[in-house]
Amino acid sequence: MLTLPRDLLQSFWLPLVGMASLLEPPRGSESVVIDIEELIERLAWKVRIENPNSIREYLLQFTGLLDVIPKAVDAAKKHFPEAQLIMDVYQDPEIDDRYLVLCIRLKDYDDSVIERLEKAEAEFLNQLVNKGGWIQLTTDFREPEGEGAL
Amino acid sequence: MVRKYVKPPIVEAVCEFRLTRETRWDLTVPGLLYEELKASFPQKEQRMIQEVELIQEPEGLKQQIRTSERIIFFTEDKNMLVQVGPRLLAINVLKPYPHWEGFKPRIEMAWESLQTAIEVQGLERIGLRYINHIELPGQSVEIAEYFEFYPHVGQRLPQQMSSFLVLAEFSYADDRDRCRVQLAPIPGSGGKSSFMLDIDYFLAQPRAVKPEKALDWVEEAHSRVEEVFEGCITDKLREMFEEMS
Repeated sequence: MLTLPRDLLQSFWLPLVGMASLLEPPRGSESVVIDIEELIERLAWKVRIENPNSIREYLLQFTGLLDVIPKAVDAAKKHFPEAQLIMDVYQDPEIDDRYLVLCIRLKDYDDSVIERLEKAEAEFLNQLVNKGGWIQLTTDFREPEGEGAL
Repeated sequence: MVRKYVKPPIVEAVCEFRLTRETRWDLTVPGLLYEELKASFPQKEQRMIQEVELIQEPEGLKQQIRTSERIIFFTEDKNMLVQVGPRLLAINVLKPYPHWEGFKPRIEMAWESLQTAIEVQGLERIGLRYINHIELPGQSVEIAEYFEFYPHVGQRLPQQMSSFLVLAEFSYADDRDRCRVQLAPIPGSGGKSSFMLDIDYFLAQPRAVKPEKALDWVEEAHSRVEEVFEGCITDKLREMFEEMS
């Protein structure tokens, strides 16, 4: 796991080696790129990220989604605590349309899946208004696989 | 000598002005700024930003998180943006970097618009930050061939690093300014070796630069960032970036 600056900033030894200024000034990030990296790092604990570079590119274009993605992931986790979550960028093969896909994969699919998907989606859908980009919560009805498969 | 590249690795450059608390700020400021900037930055968005404040106390570090609203104005192509938050103005350019000649006028425009909208009493911080993504061929690379800023690992340590973070802060102008340089690999780069070189030049002494000198400071900061960038890379990378003749 890569140690990113924020982890380092919280290291106890910084003040001891005269680097306390690294803790200052209090602020959030003004950099879109850093915000994206931090989001991807946080997401990686809960979501299997496919094609991180495509996701980076997409988020650079639609920065408004940076606020929405954590809500979408939280909603998916709430309604599908047993699911593997996978994030990728979907590119329509026929038209110039791309969007983020948050896909859930379950060991067993029952009749409640679609209803639960709709309920989860309803928790963040209104936040997508006027955002330009889009994140679609869906399932491909496949079993969890690979690293982090349940 | 200033070098320019056909393929600069810059993915983002940010110029940030943080105003002192004496500067009056209210909810009308973003609207006033938008009126000034909308011809160049017509698209608007709103974001909630979580700011992490780390306070050094006798018993240790205390972390405080606060949320603030930020209004963002974008150019039509969304490659440039102006962020406005409480006593904050930031101007960002995303790749492809339009070179300093393209970025500087946007900084000037936003800063002058802010001064038209409000009376800036002082500057807590100014920052000029350049974030570079550098992609090298192959999964395993000899980092010293490409960088002159990298971790030194003695012969008795394992030579294969799975990850690292190099961070240094350099002092300028009698410690009025600092330049924080960070180099780290970017995870999940799909079979390639990618690195983030982050150069953040900032005013380390609040109020040491007067508002009327802010743009001079930015120009000077840009020169320092260029020097630091050139100091971090080798000719092998310069060849990859294709220097303009």
